[in-house]
Amino acid sequence: MSTPTLLALLAAVGALTYLYRYLMIGVFASHRLPPWLHALCRHIAPASFAALTASALFVAGGEVTIALDGPRPWAALVAAAVAWRSRSVFATIGAGMATLYLLKILFR
Amino acid sequence: MSRSTEFLAGCRDEAPLLLGVAPFGMIYAIAALAAGVPAWVAQLASALVFAGAAQLVIVQMLAAGAGALPIALTAGLLNVRHVLYSASMAEYVRHLSRRWRLLLAYLLTDEAYAVAVLRYQRRDGAPTGAQADPARSDRAESDSIAREAAPDLRHWYFLGAGFTLWAGWQASTAAGLLFAATIPPSWELDFAVPLTFIALLTLLLRERAGQAAALAAAIGALAFAALPYKLGLVAAILVGLLAGAWTVRRLEGAR
Repeated sequence: MSTPTLLALLAAVGALTYLYRYLMIGVFASHRLPPWLHALCRHIAPASFAALTASALFVAGGEVTIALDGPRPWAALVAAAVAWRSRSVFATIGAGMATLYLLKILFR
Repeated sequence: MSRSTEFLAGCRDEAPLLLGVAPFGMIYAIAALAAGVPAWVAQLASALVFAGAAQLVIVQMLAAGAGALPIALTAGLLNVRHVLYSASMAEYVRHLSRRWRLLLAYLLTDEAYAVAVLRYQRRDGAPTGAQADPARSDRAESDSIAREAAPDLRHWYFLGAGFTLWAGWQASTAAGLLFAATIPPSWELDFAVPLTFIALLTLLLRERAGQAAALAAAIGALAFAALPYKLGLVAAILVGLLAGAWTVRRLEGAR
């Protein structure tokens, strides 16, 4: 992506994010949030992170490639197990990176 | 409490959260450079967007060759939660001037919200917001005298917390940009981004509806992988939202 396009993208996301933050304390200060939006918001984060994780691990160049001979899916699996047990973001990143390095050394 | 003591108390209470925020800022910066983002643009993004998860998503999608529109849609969806924070803060800052609200809105991040809302909900001494909940209005008359004597200065606390997080986020981005030059690409530190998503996802998977949303979105991401510009991710997230909403409705129906 060219730098001007990227800047326009960042400005647009920044403006939108700012609008979200100002919306209820500035624009609609005397209104309440509709319940359906409240309910839907709970699902946004899990849906986003799941889609991004699946895409980062198993999609390359617009094609589904479940390349189980590479180290990344296995490192991600170990990271997921550690995340489930530890509930710690740093333990998860540490375990995933350590597994990645270990597999790269073992199967170089 | 004076303005400066409120401000400094906000700074002090926000500071421990920087331990958790700073590594994200550095990971973001390192991944941004790996995705080909110029350093000055990566730093500017931390001021313009000022939302860690969204910035990581943008960088991840750029690295995957996504188009501008799908990136904007995905980041825009992910950030909708800020409307909830804004709604939650509304009753506390409604009485402030427009200039104050414009400033505080910019600083309304996950971490600043978490610290500031606790200050507002604490009941020790400080007067509540000018238009606090109506159930307390019967006491308003006797309170109004005390309120005039001790004006509500908690927005200075909010400012202190928000400013501390802002400064920490900018500094950790800069540190990551400087640090990245010394790291060889073979360390694959960009892999820390999907690992971060896995960690955050696991924390969110305690409820049935969240699990359904995540599963549907993950399957959707693979099913729609062939859509151009990574628009499949946007479709996948929308499918996830529907699955989550459908699960809530089905569970309520079963009860």
